[in-house]
Amino acid sequence: MPILQNLSNALVLASTYILMAMGLTMVYGVLKILHIAHAAVYTVGAFVGLLAYTWLGNFWLALLLAMVAAGVMGVLIYRGVYFYMLDKPRTVPLIASIGLFVMFTDLLQKDFLMGPYQRALPVAGAGMPRLRTEWFSITPKQMLVLAVTVMLLVIVYLILTRTRIGLGWKAAAMDREMAGAVGVNLNRVVAMNFFLGSALAGAAGVLVGVYNNSVFATMGDLPSYKAFIIIVLGGMGSLPGVIVASILLAVVENFLVASVGYVLPRDAVAFLVLILMLMFRPHGLLGQE
Amino acid sequence: MSGYLMSVAVFVGIWVTLALSLNILTGYAGQVSLGHAAFFGIGAYTSAVLAVRYGQPFGVDFLAAILVTGLAGTVLGLPSLRVRHDFLVLATMGVNFVVVAVFKYVDFFGGAMGLVNIPAPEFFGTTFRGGVPYLLLVWGYVVVVWLVSWYISKTWVGLAFHTIRLDEDAAAAVGVSSARFKIYAFGISAALAGGAGSLYAHFIGSVFPDTFVFVESIAILSMIVFGGVGTLRGPIIGAIILKAAPELLRFVQDYRFTIYGALLVLMMLFQPMGLIGEGSWLWRNLTALFRRPAASQQPQQEVAQ
Amino acid sequence: MNKLRVERVSKMFGGLQALKNVSLETGGEILGLIGPNGAGKTTLFNVISGFLPPTEGAVYYNGHSLHRFRPHQIVRLGIARTFQIVKPFGDLSVLDNVLTGCGMPVYPSWRAFFRRYHTPLTEKAADEILELTDLSAWRDVPASSLPIGLQRRLEIARALATRPDLLLLDEPAAGLTSHEAEALAQLVRRLHQQGKSIIVIEHNMAFAMGLCERIVVLAQGEIIAVGPPEEIQNNEQVINVYLGRSK
Ligand SMILES: Nc1ncnc2c1ncn2[C@@H]1O[C@H](COP(=O)(O)OP(=O)(O)OP(=O)(O)O)[C@@H](O)[C@H]1O
Ligand SMILES: [Mg+2]
Repeated sequence: MPILQNLSNALVLASTYILMAMGLTMVYGVLKILHIAHAAVYTVGAFVGLLAYTWLGNFWLALLLAMVAAGVMGVLIYRGVYFYMLDKPRTVPLIASIGLFVMFTDLLQKDFLMGPYQRALPVAGAGMPRLRTEWFSITPKQMLVLAVTVMLLVIVYLILTRTRIGLGWKAAAMDREMAGAVGVNLNRVVAMNFFLGSALAGAAGVLVGVYNNSVFATMGDLPSYKAFIIIVLGGMGSLPGVIVASILLAVVENFLVASVGYVLPRDAVAFLVLILMLMFRPHGLLGQE
Repeated sequence: MSGYLMSVAVFVGIWVTLALSLNILTGYAGQVSLGHAAFFGIGAYTSAVLAVRYGQPFGVDFLAAILVTGLAGTVLGLPSLRVRHDFLVLATMGVNFVVVAVFKYVDFFGGAMGLVNIPAPEFFGTTFRGGVPYLLLVWGYVVVVWLVSWYISKTWVGLAFHTIRLDEDAAAAVGVSSARFKIYAFGISAALAGGAGSLYAHFIGSVFPDTFVFVESIAILSMIVFGGVGTLRGPIIGAIILKAAPELLRFVQDYRFTIYGALLVLMMLFQPMGLIGEGSWLWRNLTALFRRPAASQQPQQEVAQ
Repeated sequence: MNKLRVERVSKMFGGLQALKNVSLETGGEILGLIGPNGAGKTTLFNVISGFLPPTEGAVYYNGHSLHRFRPHQIVRLGIARTFQIVKPFGDLSVLDNVLTGCGMPVYPSWRAFFRRYHTPLTEKAADEILELTDLSAWRDVPASSLPIGLQRRLEIARALATRPDLLLLDEPAAGLTSHEAEALAQLVRRLHQQGKSIIVIEHNMAFAMGLCERIVVLAQGEIIAVGPPEEIQNNEQVINVYLGRSK
C-alpha cells in the first residue's frame, strides 16, 4: 500500500525537519533573531559526527559528541556575536547571522576540514530492527532516525517542563524584559537555549548524514531554508507548532512528489506555501492573533 | 586595461547598480529583502528570451527588462502589504526560490542549462562585447541609477519612504499610504535591478538559473549594509569592495567567502551603520578631515610664523 | 462645519470591551476627554482616526461615514491626531518632520515623484508652524535628540502641518511643567480661535477644566458624564470613578 509507505517515509523526513527547526524556533522565540547560521551548526554537527564515527566506530558516541560540539558552537555564536546586538535594529543580527553562515560554509569546504566533496557516513542502523509489514516497511536506518528523534523530543520536553531553565525559557519567550525583571538569569537561559537548540540541529545533521550516507559542506543550506518555512507554518516561536508543521510539510512534499512527480520541484512548492501562508495566516497554522 | 580588469570593472558596475537599487527598497523604504537576485534574474531572463527567442535588439531587450522587472516587482511586492519585518524577509526569500525554480523547470527558459548565445549589443552596425564601450555603457547605467536614487531622495516620494521606514503609524497619521509607497519602492527597486540583469545577460552572453539564487540576494544585501544602508555613497563603496576585492586580491581568492563572512560579522559588531554610513567612525573622520582646513587655517599660520 | 459625530461605537479586543456604545457629537469647540487609565480614551481616538475599525457603530464627519476610510485618507479629510506614546520620525530633522505633515497629504501618490520637498515655499510653510509651536530653535536637529516634552510639541506641530479642521490631542500635557502646560493651553486656545475643533485627552483635571468648554468622561468604555467643567467637577459619579482609582 503506497500510501502507508509514503506516510512512513514522510515521518522520517519530518523527524529531521523537527530537529532542525526546533532550535531555530527556540532562538526566535527568545531573541527574535532569524538565525540563518543555524544551517552551519547543523553541518558542523554532521561533520563532527562523521569524524567521531570514523575514529570511534560507535554511532551513539558519535551522536553525543556531535551534539555537544554543535551545542558549544551555538553558545559561542550567541556569546560572541548576538549577545552584543540585542538592542540594535533587527537587520544587524540578521546580517551578522548571514556573515556567520557564509563564513562557516566556506571554511567547511576547505581541504583541511571537509573539502568540497561528499563523504560517506556508513552507519548501518546501529542495531535497529527492520520493520516489515504487508503495507509498508521501515528500514533500520529509518528506525534509527525515528527513535533518536522521539528520544530527543522527550528529553527536550522534560527539560522544558521540569527544570528551572525550561521555565525561565518560557518566561523569556513571553517577555524578555519582564523575565529579567522577575529574576530569571537571562544570559544563562538564553545560552542554554542556544546549547539545546544547536545540539538538536547537530543531531539532525548526523541523522541526515547517516540516512543519506553522505556528509558535505553545503548540506545545511536547503534544510535551513525549509526550517524557516516550518517555523512560519508553526507560528514563529511555537514548539508544538514546529512538530505539526514539520509533519505536514513532509507529508505534502512526499505525496506531491509521489503523485505529480517533479512539475515544480518540491522545494519551490514549499516556498510557495510559505508565501501564501505569510500572506493569509501569518500567525501559523495553530497560532491565533 | 587588460581584458580581465575590464570585465572586473564591468561586473563591479553591474553590482553597484544592484546595490543602489536595493538601497531604495531597503535603505529608503526600510523593507529588508532577501530576494533581490530574483529581480536581477527576471531582468536577465527577459533580455535573454527576447534576444535569443525573438531576435530583438539590445535596446528593446534592455527597456523591456526594466519594464517587465518593474511590473514583477510590483506584483511580488504585494506580500509586503500584509507582512512586515522578519516575515517580509522570509517572504522575499521565498520569492527568490520560486523565481529560480521557474527558470530552472520551465523549458521556455532553457531549464538548468539556461539560455545561451545572447548576441552582443549592436549600435549603428557595430557590435561590442566587452571592451571600453561596454564598460562605458555599464557605468553610464550606474550614473543613471545613482541619479534616480539621488532624485528620489530629494522629492516627496523619498520623504514618504523615510516615513514608512521610521514608523508606519506615524506615516499614516501624516497621510502616507504605506501600502502604496511600499509598492512604489518595490517597483522602482526591481525595475532598476532589471536593467542590471539585462546588462549582465548581454555581457556574459548566457544566463543560468544558478546565478540568481538566494545566496546572491544575500550578497547584494550585504553590500549595502557593509557600505552604509540608506546613503547614496555606502552601497557604491560596499559593492565595489565586496565585489572587486576578492577578484583582484589573488591571495584572497581561496578564502574570499570566509573573509567576506567575517567582514560582515565584524562590521555588525563594531560598525553596524556600515563602513561609511551616517555616524560611522570612518565617515565622521572623513568629514572632519575635509572641514578642518577651513576651520583651522588661522592657527596653523600662526604656528608657521 | 467640521462636525464629528460618533454613533453608538463599541470596540472589543477579544473578550475585553474597550468601548461600549459611545455616542458623542462635537464641532467648533475644545472638547475634553477624561477618564481613568484604561477607560478607552485612546481607543476612541484610534477609532475616529481610522487606526482601528469599530466593532459596532460608526463615525461621521461632516455627515459622511468614515467607515472603510484608512488612517491616511482620514488625515486628508482634515482630521489629524497625535499619539500618546510619541512617534516622531527620529532620524529626520524637526523641520523635515513638520514637512511630512505639510506635503504628504498634498502629494499622496505619483505626483510625489515630481516635486522636491525642500523648496523656499515648503520651508516657509513649515517654518510658520515651527514658529507657532515655538520649535524654531530646534529646526535642524534630529527629532530623536529632543527631550520628551519637545517631542510632544513636535507631534502637535506635525499634526498641525496637515492643516486639520479637527485636531485630536492624546495627553499633550503629560510630563510638562506647569509653565509649559500653560503655554500649551494658550496654543490650543489660539488654534481654536483660528476655527479649529479640538478634542484633547487629559489626565490632569485642573488643566482640562481650565481649557475645555465641554468635557466627556469615559470610564470602562462608557460615557458616564458630559457637560461643562463646573458640572463635571461636581458630578458624583465622576468623583467616585476618580476617587475609586486614586492611590
Ligand atoms: N490594540 C489593543 N489590543 C488589545 N487591547 C487593547 C488594545 N488597545 C487598548 N487595549 C485595551 O483597551 C482598554 C482601553 O485602552 P485605552 O488605551 O483606550 O485606554 P486609555 O483610556 O487611553 O488609558 P490611558 O489613560 O492609560 O491612556 C485597556 O484595557 C487596554 O488594555
Ligand atoms: Mg491612552
